[in-house]
Amino acid sequence: MSIGASNPEYVNARVRSRRASLFADEDYRKLIRMGPSEIARFMEETEYEREVNALGTRFSGVDLIEYALNRNLAKHFEDLLDWSEGRLYDLVSRYLRKFDVMNLKTIIRGIYTETDPEEVQTDLIRAGELDDRTIDRLLEVDTIEDAIEVVSGTIFYESLSAAHEEYEETGALVPLENALDREFYEHLLEDVSRSPGRTQPQEGPEARYIEFLQAEIDFRNARNALRLARSGADLDPAAYYIEGGVLFDASDLNRLVGDYDALVDHIAENKRYGDRLSGALGRLREADSLIQFEHALDAALLQYADTLSSIYPASVSAVLSYILAKEREVENIRAIARGREVGLSESEIEEELVIL
Amino acid sequence: MAKDVKPTRKNLMEIEDRIELSERGHGTLEKKRDGLIMEFMDILDKAQDVRGDLADDYDQAQRKINMARAMEGDVAVRGAAAALQEHPEITTESKNIMGVVVPQIESSRVSKDLSERGYGIMGTSARIDEAAEAYEDLLESIILAAEVETAMKKMLREIETTKRRVNALEFKLLPDLYDSQEYIEQKLEEQEREETFRLKKIKEKKEQEEKEAREAEADEDDIEIDEADMEPPATGGVPGN
Repeated sequence: MSIGASNPEYVNARVRSRRASLFADEDYRKLIRMGPSEIARFMEETEYEREVNALGTRFSGVDLIEYALNRNLAKHFEDLLDWSEGRLYDLVSRYLRKFDVMNLKTIIRGIYTETDPEEVQTDLIRAGELDDRTIDRLLEVDTIEDAIEVVSGTIFYESLSAAHEEYEETGALVPLENALDREFYEHLLEDVSRSPGRTQPQEGPEARYIEFLQAEIDFRNARNALRLARSGADLDPAAYYIEGGVLFDASDLNRLVGDYDALVDHIAENKRYGDRLSGALGRLREADSLIQFEHALDAALLQYADTLSSIYPASVSAVLSYILAKEREVENIRAIARGREVGLSESEIEEELVIL
Repeated sequence: MAKDVKPTRKNLMEIEDRIELSERGHGTLEKKRDGLIMEFMDILDKAQDVRGDLADDYDQAQRKINMARAMEGDVAVRGAAAALQEHPEITTESKNIMGVVVPQIESSRVSKDLSERGYGIMGTSARIDEAAEAYEDLLESIILAAEVETAMKKMLREIETTKRRVNALEFKLLPDLYDSQEYIEQKLEEQEREETFRLKKIKEKKEQEEKEAREAEADEDDIEIDEADMEPPATGGVPGN
């Protein structure tokens, strides 16, 4: 909840020091040549020391690395929320709600499959807005209906309640998971863009922030549209459309999902993203896999975030850029460790997994 | 075996019947064995293809899931997998290939579209889709391989059994029957010869006895004549003296 005035200067000062301790490109190059246990040892001498030591007795190998990375990520993002106040808190927390969504999905899946709550707890990344008490209560409930009651008072309650009826009918988690994701994306641009009585800023840090969030929504829409087009499943594209982006509107999506090539052309012709994604789109036309395209989308999003932080270093954009950089670090280390574990070559890891 | 059988005509007829039946069975089994081998070769080709596909699908599935675990994290991949409780269903029927009952496995709900995989589409990625799809393909291949390889094993077992039967007929049963047949025939011939000889001997003996009887009779007649010649004539004297 936002209390008091926004404090981007203070938070940015703290974020800058955190950003300085992120792994550099040379560190990744070193990691790529190491095995999982060497990576864990390397992490012990860095920022991740406390988490690796704390979890070392319970986990080993790549699992230790992954859980240590998740716990460290959660710690850093919790700090961000602790430091932020006022509007900055609102803007940061709405982005970090993706971890709430992730945790809620994990808990609901745990209830659905009757998994031991201890195991479910291990998989949570407590980096979102939901406090520990709520999460602990969620871990104690036995039914999905009770879990929804526990989150009453959050933005997820209404959409989950609505989706619960469909869940009751079908017995599948899809409506609940989609409801959570939709709630997250649709709240991203809440009261910063196109809201009643407010005009969308055209320049300045908030305009860039909106541009970044629009890119995130557009990229999510593009991924989902391409996945739907590829799968050939009889699904209503409108049900998976997230409002707020500039790449598609609902009618575009309905029209394009049936024609894969036209969909790729539509993305390529977009002024904002066409050039950034041209290479990936070219490969996408020929390749069977969407993975390379998703990789390109991730890289483009990170590029956006880096641009944001350099243009407006004392705004929410810089905080957002740090969030993405930290996530990228965690993803890269995890990708290297998992890649080494399964015997992928250095070049494969560098080309297909790591985003530098 | 040949010595165990009683050398009677009835047994010979029985053995001849068994030989006829065994020879017919041997021919039929030989044809069955050859037919099974031909069917087996077809199945073997198919099994080799299926095995190859299975290995490729397994490599592909492992690669996809490794990529998904690397990029999305183990937690996300496990979470997506846990979002589905429904299991694929398998029904087995059977079909008959030259008397061998082999399974025919029908699977349902193995390949799923995006909406049927249980996890939400909005918050997941193509990496998870492709890993799920690769594992669905792998499962299809495993089911096909199970069907083909079970058929192959059953055919192989049947070929072995048929081959053993053919060999048993060819190298054991039929030679024994032929030996028994030959033994009985020889014995019967021998008995026949003995019988003929015996009859001949009886006949000779009989003839000898008859001859002797005739001679004895002839001798008796001669004595009677001599005695009559030596006796004096009764009253009235002998006419002619």
